[in-house]
Amino acid sequence: MADTILLFAGLLILLSIVLSVLRLVLGPTMVDRVVAIDTLTVISLSLVALYAHLSGRFVYLDVALVYGLLSFLAVLALARFLEKGR
Amino acid sequence: MLAELFILVICASILVSGILAVSLRGLMAAMISAGLASLFAAVSYVLLAAPDVAMAEAAIGAGLSTLVFLYAIRKTNAGKE
Repeated sequence: MADTILLFAGLLILLSIVLSVLRLVLGPTMVDRVVAIDTLTVISLSLVALYAHLSGRFVYLDVALVYGLLSFLAVLALARFLEKGR
Repeated sequence: MLAELFILVICASILVSGILAVSLRGLMAAMISAGLASLFAAVSYVLLAAPDVAMAEAAIGAGLSTLVFLYAIRKTNAGKE
């Protein structure tokens, strides 16, 4: 049962990576690309957490923690630049 | 089986965002694509069982260099098409 749920979550993560990269490629305005990189940040955080459970090494969660703190700053700076810059 | 599929999709995404970072017109869009390539590189380091390299890549490559590029674009006033 738990393996089925993990497989389904992994397939959903793969599908959402493909869809968000498609939005990054197609996105006509800058806001679309910023939203795409924000979504991909959250998706890759969940991918790292899922892989930490799958491989049984919980040191991988530290990577997710560090990236979760820093990507928040990057997206915040991008949004502030989009609001003030032009 | 699932881990190999993860690695394939992540490496394809690195390729797509690298090509996009070279070929896009606007400076900010190219900077976002370069940061995204760095983010996918960090995830692929985790999938290839190197968590310390992935932590350095996520902190420096994806977080700090995007902020430095953004600061430089704001200073030189070049982001306005």
